[in-house]
Amino acid sequence: MEATNTQMKTVVYDDAIVRAFSTITVVWGVVAFLLGVIVAAQLSFWQANFGLEWLSFGRLRPLHTNAAIFAFVGNGMFAGIYYSTQRLLKVRMASDLLSWANFWGWQLVIVCAAISYPLGLTQGKEYAELIWPIDLLVVVVWVVFAVNFFWTLAIRNEKNLYVAIWFYISTIVTIAVLYIVNNLQLPTSLTHSYPIFGGVQDALVQWWYGHNAVAFFLTTPPLGLMYYFMVKAAERPVYSYRLSVVHFWSLIFLYIWAGPHHLLYTALPDWAQTLGMVFSIMLWAPSWGGMLNGLLTLRGSWDKLRTDPVIKFFVVAVTFYGMSTFEGPLLSIKSVSALGHYTDWIIGHVHGGALGWNSFMTFGILYWLVPRLYGTKLYSTKLAELHFWVGTIGILMYVVSMWVSGVSQGLFWRALDAEGFLKYPDFIEGLSNSTAMYHTRLLGGVLFFLGSFLLVYNLLMTARQGKPVTVSVQVPARRPAADRESAWQLLTSAPMMFMMGLIVLSIWFGAAGSMLSPVLLALLIVISVAMIISYGLQQKRWGHWYGLIERNALVFTLLALLAILVGGAVEIIPTVMASNKVPLQITEQMIAADPALAETAKWVQKPYSPLELAGRDIYVREGCYLCHSQMIRPFRHEVLRYGEYSRMEESLLDHPFQWGSKRTGLDLARVGGKYDNLWHYLHLMDPRQTSPASNMPTYKHFKTATVDAAVITHRMAVQVKLGVPYTDEDLALAGQRYASQAELITDDLAAKSVTLAPNSEMTAVIAYLQRLGRGPQPLEPAPPAPIPAAAPVTIAPETTEAAPATPVAAGN
Amino acid sequence: MSANNDNTRDNRAEYQQDTVMAHEYDGIQEFDNRLPNWWMWIMWGSIVFALGYWLVFHTLSLKPLSVAKFETVMQKAQEEQLARAAAQGVDNNFLVMMSQTASKVTEGREIFVKHCVACHLDQGQGLVGPNLTDGVWVHGCEPMAMLKTVIDGVPAKGMPAWQNQLGPSRVQAVVAYVMTIRNTNVPGKAPEGQPCLF
Repeated sequence: MEATNTQMKTVVYDDAIVRAFSTITVVWGVVAFLLGVIVAAQLSFWQANFGLEWLSFGRLRPLHTNAAIFAFVGNGMFAGIYYSTQRLLKVRMASDLLSWANFWGWQLVIVCAAISYPLGLTQGKEYAELIWPIDLLVVVVWVVFAVNFFWTLAIRNEKNLYVAIWFYISTIVTIAVLYIVNNLQLPTSLTHSYPIFGGVQDALVQWWYGHNAVAFFLTTPPLGLMYYFMVKAAERPVYSYRLSVVHFWSLIFLYIWAGPHHLLYTALPDWAQTLGMVFSIMLWAPSWGGMLNGLLTLRGSWDKLRTDPVIKFFVVAVTFYGMSTFEGPLLSIKSVSALGHYTDWIIGHVHGGALGWNSFMTFGILYWLVPRLYGTKLYSTKLAELHFWVGTIGILMYVVSMWVSGVSQGLFWRALDAEGFLKYPDFIEGLSNSTAMYHTRLLGGVLFFLGSFLLVYNLLMTARQGKPVTVSVQVPARRPAADRESAWQLLTSAPMMFMMGLIVLSIWFGAAGSMLSPVLLALLIVISVAMIISYGLQQKRWGHWYGLIERNALVFTLLALLAILVGGAVEIIPTVMASNKVPLQITEQMIAADPALAETAKWVQKPYSPLELAGRDIYVREGCYLCHSQMIRPFRHEVLRYGEYSRMEESLLDHPFQWGSKRTGLDLARVGGKYDNLWHYLHLMDPRQTSPASNMPTYKHFKTATVDAAVITHRMAVQVKLGVPYTDEDLALAGQRYASQAELITDDLAAKSVTLAPNSEMTAVIAYLQRLGRGPQPLEPAPPAPIPAAAPVTIAPETTEAAPATPVAAGN
Repeated sequence: MSANNDNTRDNRAEYQQDTVMAHEYDGIQEFDNRLPNWWMWIMWGSIVFALGYWLVFHTLSLKPLSVAKFETVMQKAQEEQLARAAAQGVDNNFLVMMSQTASKVTEGREIFVKHCVACHLDQGQGLVGPNLTDGVWVHGCEPMAMLKTVIDGVPAKGMPAWQNQLGPSRVQAVVAYVMTIRNTNVPGKAPEGQPCLF
């Protein structure tokens, strides 16, 4: 070797780790699709959980989403990043040990999730359901990945960073920030915790996380992978470098602001809702920038679309990306959200992204990558073609059926008759109306699932016909010298100053009143024009500046971090500060001093009783929030159906918040007192007893499972640390109050000939549901009335025992 | 295709479509083509829209935000209902007339089947709620009293308030139907309350 060129050295890529990640991606992919099919089947046929609480929708749905996001797309991302990073930086990953720790650690997280979710161990926040010990494990694994990646960057043999690497960097820093902040929590036991944020704060932080998990786990990594694998497969130069620059930076800067579009028309402050909406609209162009750069790269190689299944998968993936990123801004427009939110439209939207963009991207990468990892050709192009068509038809059936069902639900809920009242007062009619669409969705999902077996077989045969290969490359023995400009010089240069000025002015514009704002707006425009002119005049300087940034991994990472911190900080900090100002106890004197507090006082929430808190924890455990919202929007039709619209003050003490994001069932924010205890009992035992068309699972296990009041007392003590105003007396009497309130409910049921243990979970859940939307409920029997009321007291409740049919048997 | 170095990439005069840049990464080359104009229009258009929207809704408060808009809608609906109620003048006689009108009773029966049977059962013989077919009544059997019971509900006993969900004409229709099943004495829940004197 040294004979050829003494100044060269050999770099051997670590492809064993890529083979491991690719293999496990396929395995978890099949699992995630299977789980999807099962939960879809449960929505079509409620019996599809086989009567097992471990398989009920509320527990399996988080497993499905987490498996799809973190296990399938996540492992695919690792496979692609480990493969492409080494080649783009011309260096082996810095540490094999860290690579394998990343691999096994991530699989351990997934296995833990697969065990904990069916057991009902959850934090009750979407896509962040993992309990705190597993959260810690995720953080450790992510740090391992980050260290390995940045270490590799530091020892690279390539001076500039290619656009794919930019996307990987932004992914790593942003996911770390999002994950840690959204999972700040106070443990009550090894398997249970309460998030430190409550109510509106928790809602905002959760959707800042939730939306940007989509952005920085499901969007930026696949975009980075697109810039490597799709370009490799197309064998054409990337369409435009400058488009890469513009769409990368605008995408990561704008994305982080868009979280509140999940909370339009909720109790989130209006200004934050508006930011969520307008930033989502501004995201349209940056997102399409990625799609354009992908599709236009294929100019001149469209003929491959006929022959190469890899290109087929990529083209459809990028097209779905374009569709979803148009649909997203559309759904973020407030009046469109008013129709689409809480409906199946959202489910269709995310599956357009998850199945169309993420899965097809991953399939394309695997079909391209696996033959190369095994030094052979793809076993069967025909089977890959078949997989492509089966998958595409599956996705279309899925997405179209959810559009139809979602839009009809939205129209159905809001329809008013000539008198201005609900045209369809019965919620269940809307659900029954969707049955055919649910079956179509199930069929589409099954097709997609079956298609994945073609992938498994094809890749297995490909690996069998080849054998693992080791790839090496010759690089100069000496690393490229660093640039003369220091990080500080780059960070304080003119373009940076311009951009910081723009950001500061924009925030000021938002905060300033009607006098100052127009001036600031004018100033903003002047600065933007100045930027454009100076860019034009200096011809090459800004491009030169960016060329330097692109070579300095530290500065690049700092700028990316800065870009993603601005939006989150501007939205979260003021919301937390404002909602912390809401007084939790309002006295007469306070109202006398500030009459505006009278309205607040009407809504300020009192802490839950021990029994209600126990019920709430069970509600969270069962994932009820996945089908039931607790957030009535200020629309006439919602107020007619559910009662007064929800106020911010009502849920401030809720850790975690349970506003929900989907209404397969009704909103429960004010269900308390609407029905009596017997109704709830019958409904939970078998929802079809009270609503024959319901697709809700049965919760018979509530009747036999018991609650330990001491555990609840301990949890209350933890909530005190989070700011929930339980008094010492509340804690001291918790056990006693738990028992007496439970007896009130069981006595009432006993009078209606239902026997229920006071310490059963059923009692707690009924107490919680009866509390919702009402103030505190009686904790012990009322003292005997001193004066007999004149009203008819002649009713003999005992006679109910003589009723011919026992209620439990009434359900067919 | 000619290669250029990145120092001249911003020079308008030298711009040429599909010029490959000097750099190459693992065999991947890059053009440096201009951004499509229509894309630039979307980009700038959406930024202008965002600033304008903020100005209109927040800085200048020219248009109402969600709650203010909701309150306008609710007020308008309230006024319309008042006008209608005045024209109708619902009283005992009106409800008795309604209970004698077959189409209204049929409508009432349909509503009853959808919403009431969970607690009162199909024939109105009672389960959670009282038997509606006997001769005694817990909250009064006068039509207006029954109407009030359906409108406001009896939350303490598990009877929901139906006014908002069903609206006035459906509430009246269901009362009209229930008036027709009084005293049919379907075997069911034991009688509770006081004899009907209306």
